Amino acid sequence: MDSSNTIWIIIRRMRIPFLVIIVTFAISILGLTLIPGMDDQGHPYKMTFFDAFYFVSYMASTIGFGEAPYSFTYPQRMWVSACIYLTVIGWFYGIGSIVALVQDKRLAREIDLARFRNKIAGLREPFTIILGYNNITHRIIDWLNDEGIRVVVVDRDEEKITALELENFIPEVPALTADVTHPETLKMAGIHKRNCQAVVSLFEDDVKNTKIALLCRLLNKRIKLVIKSTTRTQSEHLKNLGVRYIEDPFLFVSNRLYLALTSPSLWLLEMWIFGHILKIREREELPKGHYIICGYGRMGHALERAFKKAQISYSYIDIKSTQYKEEKSSAVFGDAEDYRLLMEAGVKEAAAIIAATKDDLINLTILSTAKKLNPHIYTIGRENTIDDVTIFRSARINRIYILEMILAEFTYLFIARPLAYRFVRLLHTKDEKWGRQIVEKMHEVLGENPMHFEITLDEDHAYALARELKKGRRITLGDLRRSREDRNKTYPILCLLAKWDEKRYEMIPDDSLPLEEGMRLLMASDEESRSDFEYIVNNYYELEYVLTGKG
Amino acid sequence: MNTQKVISGFFFILAMTVNFGFFYGDPANLEYHSAYELFAAIVVNLIATILKLGDKTQLGSVLLATSLVADIQLIASATVWAFAVYVSKNVGLESAVAIISLSGGALIANFVSVLLFIGDTLKSKR
Repeated sequence: MDSSNTIWIIIRRMRIPFLVIIVTFAISILGLTLIPGMDDQGHPYKMTFFDAFYFVSYMASTIGFGEAPYSFTYPQRMWVSACIYLTVIGWFYGIGSIVALVQDKRLAREIDLARFRNKIAGLREPFTIILGYNNITHRIIDWLNDEGIRVVVVDRDEEKITALELENFIPEVPALTADVTHPETLKMAGIHKRNCQAVVSLFEDDVKNTKIALLCRLLNKRIKLVIKSTTRTQSEHLKNLGVRYIEDPFLFVSNRLYLALTSPSLWLLEMWIFGHILKIREREELPKGHYIICGYGRMGHALERAFKKAQISYSYIDIKSTQYKEEKSSAVFGDAEDYRLLMEAGVKEAAAIIAATKDDLINLTILSTAKKLNPHIYTIGRENTIDDVTIFRSARINRIYILEMILAEFTYLFIARPLAYRFVRLLHTKDEKWGRQIVEKMHEVLGENPMHFEITLDEDHAYALARELKKGRRITLGDLRRSREDRNKTYPILCLLAKWDEKRYEMIPDDSLPLEEGMRLLMASDEESRSDFEYIVNNYYELEYVLTGKG
Repeated sequence: MNTQKVISGFFFILAMTVNFGFFYGDPANLEYHSAYELFAAIVVNLIATILKLGDKTQLGSVLLATSLVADIQLIASATVWAFAVYVSKNVGLESAVAIISLSGGALIANFVSVLLFIGDTLKSKR
């Protein structure tokens, strides 16, 4: 596809109208120069080409300034009457063609493409290409925009793109209607650009995701790929392609459940990274005892793995939502047979029940039926779409796993908060004892509702500090925790993860850790200390004060 | 026989020959050069330009370029003439030579265009 397609379409369509205009003009002008006229003193004269051109130009365009340079004679007028019809028709034909061209779908499409290309070319900030626009990606766009990461969206469905344009994202999100599995589309979306960081593909269809992953890998090796995969074999394929980040929502849920079952502190830390407060609420404590899984599909299998690993007794009821709806022609769980199923699975004695089918209504009714049979049972529901969160909330379900939300959160973390993402990954290698220590330490220093942020120790983000480190000055992490009002006091601020490069990192580093230029830190603090911290690392005088007490 | 080729070939060559017809003769004396011929050269050249539009090949682009050069030179020639007659009120030696040499430039552009056209025709096997 050429970038000048727009012009070519116009040119091709305007050829005949142009020809008609030229020929009619030429005939009229020639005629006028040949027919003898008469000037104001009665002398015969012939119009020159310039006079004729001037006259025909305003006659054909129906401007009509009158007869020039002198009043016409009758032979001239007869010729002009013929010319009027000839040229005006030619002129209108030309204008009609232009109007038709403006309404042309193909041209409109080309203009859209050209505009999209210009927008991509104008992107100076780092950006992410998101394929497919839906509830999940909507959230991701919101979050990424907050972080100052620009987003480009491509979707095959024109209506979705229109919906996106109506959202009025700030900054603007360039969007294009096109087939996302086409390499040309990806190129247009800027996959080759230096500031393109990542491609996100979270389609329902695993095969489509894999195809996109392959294309992206071939088009740009350096780019981060966020690809959804819901089966193990698919994930294997993706790994072989060299995709570093594979999003399996079921695996996420399974891992999270495993953490919650075996090590609540680590679970709490992970949830805190995603915006939970740093405290386990009473209703969030998972009970000990027997678990029932309803639904034995991809999610059911993933949950089973978690239970097996955690060595917790469980049983499952195999309900397939589509089959269920077909057989009973109802999406409401809870007839006599269903009661019997639940009783057989031991709902009266069970500690918790998980509704994990891919139909939200069935999940809701499973849980309400179980509650009826055993009022003390702990309910866990799978919610498939973000849309109707309120319904699940008001159904008083103890814990909800919203798959789309989890996908959105992980994608955001991976793209915008690489350190926090690494921290979450590392949590899964730790044990409960370690986790409890960390949580206690954080409670002690930071209270129950701290936030987290990342900072790179370079001149862009920590000017003064980076300059000092470059000079070879020894500065430790503990130095930076000192208050800028009184350096003997410390701010409520903690470093969770220090990273030098992909291989070298340290979790919860000690205060004596010497800092190096270019390293990245994941910090936990409250809002106020964060701004103080950023002030200190950027300002020479403040930095000098906290380091030496002078200045 | 390809009708499209006949029509475009006709106009390309006519553009050159009419152009030559105007150009030929004493460059200092406008009496030897007919305004009608200049008019015909401009019209035929414009038509040739339109016919060359829309061809996206390499050769098509060069053909279009030569035609645009010829158009500009011929229109410039006519403009100089009109300016000399109506604004400076006398067509002196300088303007006469300018008019003719401008059309001479257009002639070369037209010549190149015809050469390219013939070369392309010889090259094609059909």
